[in-house]
Amino acid sequence: MEQSWREFTRKGEKVLRKYLEIIKIFIKTQLAWRGDVVIQILFTLTKILFACLLWRTIFKDRDQVAGFTINSMLSYYIISSFLNQMDMSSRVSGEISQRIRNGTFSKYMVLPVNIQGYFIAMELGIVLFYLSLDVITSVIWIFAFHIRFVFVSDPVAFVGAMILILLGLFFMAQLNYYLGLLTLKYEEIGTFLMIKDNLVAFITGSLIPLVLLPQGFVAVMKVFPFYYVTYLPSMLLIGRLKGELGMGLLVLACWCVILQAVIYATWHNYRIKYDGVGI
Amino acid sequence: MEIIKTAGLTKNYRRFKKQAGMMGSIRGLVRREYEEKQAVTNLDLSIREGEFVGMIGPNGAGKTTLIKMLTGIIAPTCGTINVLGYYPNDLDHELKQQYAVVMGQKSQLFFELTVEDTLRLFKEIYGLPEEEYQISKEYFVNLFQVQELMHVQVRTLSLGERMKMELIAALLHNPKIIFLDEPTIGLDAVASKQIRGFLAEINQKKGTTIILTSHYMEDIKTLCKRSIVINHGCKIYDGDTEKLFEQYQKLKKITVTFQEPTSLPKMGNEARIIEQTPYKKVIMVPKENAPGLLRELMGLLPSDISVEEEEIGTVVERIYQKGGEGFA
Repeated sequence: MEQSWREFTRKGEKVLRKYLEIIKIFIKTQLAWRGDVVIQILFTLTKILFACLLWRTIFKDRDQVAGFTINSMLSYYIISSFLNQMDMSSRVSGEISQRIRNGTFSKYMVLPVNIQGYFIAMELGIVLFYLSLDVITSVIWIFAFHIRFVFVSDPVAFVGAMILILLGLFFMAQLNYYLGLLTLKYEEIGTFLMIKDNLVAFITGSLIPLVLLPQGFVAVMKVFPFYYVTYLPSMLLIGRLKGELGMGLLVLACWCVILQAVIYATWHNYRIKYDGVGI
Repeated sequence: MEIIKTAGLTKNYRRFKKQAGMMGSIRGLVRREYEEKQAVTNLDLSIREGEFVGMIGPNGAGKTTLIKMLTGIIAPTCGTINVLGYYPNDLDHELKQQYAVVMGQKSQLFFELTVEDTLRLFKEIYGLPEEEYQISKEYFVNLFQVQELMHVQVRTLSLGERMKMELIAALLHNPKIIFLDEPTIGLDAVASKQIRGFLAEINQKKGTTIILTSHYMEDIKTLCKRSIVINHGCKIYDGDTEKLFEQYQKLKKITVTFQEPTSLPKMGNEARIIEQTPYKKVIMVPKENAPGLLRELMGLLPSDISVEEEEIGTVVERIYQKGGEGFA
């Protein structure tokens, strides 16, 4: 019993080290390009600058918009754009699609590694790199613009938001992995990706807070996972909508399970269509 | 011990077909037409542990498709495959731990990082203990003489250097089988020779089974005791490499030079003069008639005489055109 447990933990450690090394190698690849690092910092700075200018103009002659003060609105914006930037999963679908089309997807098929795990670890590596840059730039701007940052004080809401964020990132990685796999069948998935990107930008509330939209529309959105990916955690982190936490966790977890089953079926059905052309 | 076995292996590709021009594109949008291409047909194969097997055939013959099926990258349309007891397209990790594949035109290395970084990744992917990793790395780094290249960005390496690194990455976990798809493509003569030397050593010292495809017959002749010729998806020869080349080496090239201007007498023996000056003659002759012709030429008191084998390209062309007659 003890021996089999030891064997189990040894295998688990090996698997963990495998994916940790993938995460590390993608952090290293990001560090290789200095220009990209500088541009990313500038990009984040500019986004927050424009948001400050926009919302300050809107709040010039009023104190509140849909229950938001200027500080809660900017806090929401910084958190939600921060979460959006953390979601780098569109790289996953792009990379898979391109590699299937040019035949280099084979390189993942011959390695003793779970391909989905590889891509998720790849995304994690890139996210961790940008996360560190984004934290630094966001903190600089909060101080530079004297934003009185509104942040949740309730530990349950905070922990719940963190779990939602992780589940949300995992769901987005799953979704993009699934869309990438569709290349095996449809060869070109540009249209799918465009639809997904537009839907996600709107539904996640990264364009405008969902409270500004009609109630009926928001109610429908709550059945789908996107509402819980960026919008709900952002709201939880500024101390709002705690009552939706349980529902959010449940819906998002269910979607993750459903999508994983869909990925499994898609991979097993479409894998045989891969012809590795290009090698 | 037999480690690769296929029976009746067939792979058909379906490809989109359209006529050229705008009308062809519009017609293709409305009504798709597909055609089936048989890349590999009913192929039976058996490879034993430790063999060094060469696969040759013209472009589009089906060699790479066969390698893709043996490594599980693509699924066969029909037939059976068994590699080390596994069906490769199940993509079982246990099988993937035991083979490696190197595609000359595709890379496993991270171009913006150093080779050391990629090797470290492979160490974890293949679950190698630190000590085993260090021993294996040291062995290959010394064998390939690339110590000073381990800490430079891969993208700055020459093609020959990169290929050595690809081989190290592939061999690091000491696979039982290594599939090499044109590993010397684009390499100069020196680099190709070095790679051949390394492969021969790995096959002999480590007992690694190697399956090699190459358009460079020097690779095949030097390394592979056994050759498989594939054309139009079919195996047309499977046997001893020397015997294959011997069989298709039809002519000998005799070059003879003289101190004085000399004319050749009328020659029989199906000999053909391909170059002629008063002091030098180059003659092609069927190899079975070469001894007779040599005797005649010696009677002319030449200052020098040399006998060469036919150009390898011509032999290969003949193998592809007629190969398999009497062998398949």
